[in-house]
Amino acid sequence: MKPLFQMNIRTALIAFLLVLAPVLSANAQDPRIQMGSLDHLAAKASQTVDVNIDERLMRIAAKVFSDKDEDEREVKKLVAGLKGVYVKSFEFESVGQYADTDVETIRTQLRAPGWTRLVNVTSKKEGMLEVYLLFNGDIVGGLAVLHTDDKELTVVNIVGPVDLDKLAKLEGQLGVPELGIESPKPKAKNDDEK
Amino acid sequence: MNDDYLWDKTGQPDPQIQQLEEILGTLRYQPKPLAIPNLAVPRRRNYFPLLAIAATVLLAILAGGIWLRMRPRNEVPKQQAKIVEPAAPKPEEKPVKPKSAVNQPVLATNRIHGKRSASSVLRKREREEALMAKEQLMLALRVTTQKLHLVHTKTSPATQIKNQHRIG
Repeated sequence: MKPLFQMNIRTALIAFLLVLAPVLSANAQDPRIQMGSLDHLAAKASQTVDVNIDERLMRIAAKVFSDKDEDEREVKKLVAGLKGVYVKSFEFESVGQYADTDVETIRTQLRAPGWTRLVNVTSKKEGMLEVYLLFNGDIVGGLAVLHTDDKELTVVNIVGPVDLDKLAKLEGQLGVPELGIESPKPKAKNDDEK
Repeated sequence: MNDDYLWDKTGQPDPQIQQLEEILGTLRYQPKPLAIPNLAVPRRRNYFPLLAIAATVLLAILAGGIWLRMRPRNEVPKQQAKIVEPAAPKPEEKPVKPKSAVNQPVLATNRIHGKRSASSVLRKREREEALMAKEQLMLALRVTTQKLHLVHTKTSPATQIKNQHRIG
């Protein structure tokens, strides 16, 4: 009876591990960052940007990019291999509207194997800016940008092979000239002062 | 000696044979009802293999459930960008309206042809969806490039020298 009991337990354990293994491995190097935990911040935010474009929408969107327009052609090339673009950005009227735990839920995911922190910039004015890349061998499989400021929390997640050079070239071509690059609030203050 | 006695008990019997008959006669078959002793203990059925299989299936379902719970956040994202308190509409957006106006006559002609109208509505919907997706994509890329540019600005040597001067 005892060997039979042991055998069954072992069989059950192996079966369980076989079932669980793909689940765990699928989540080990997931280029998609789960941002659902930040949704509650929308109620507190004065401005929210929430973009969720999956692979299907990406393909659909690529169809309407004009080949005649140089800028759109560039964007089309850039997004051609991407599998998803997800952005959550919250701007708040006052300080301390989001908790450290909110940011930590994102950072925890970015500590997973495969993700590498490429840049980490901390400044009093702009807060903390972190750029992460997910490497699948030598190939970039995803990008994540985390910007935390006193009054802002932004998470950008691009799934798929990201060409950073191409992405950098887009700056100024997407209707965001220099004024959109820097944080808009200090500029507004300057304008008022003027 | 007559051998018939051994065959059909006729003739003169042999005394030795008779003696043997008396001795062995006690062991002769005596008809009586068969008594089955009530010693057989019903064997307990082993349900353990079944339980193990059930547990495995349950665990598999549980693991599948966990996986599905984790997966939907990947696979079924919201497909619309929402911007609370968006910036004032740009004057450039106004010329977009005539585009839909241009499409209206096409819709009207398609109503006459039933089969074609369905496909054209579908195409129109697809186009609307595509345009919406494009807008979202551009917005997302705008935010991304803003942030990357900010990083670039902060990490560029010029900024670092400037900061060093400030410290100095």
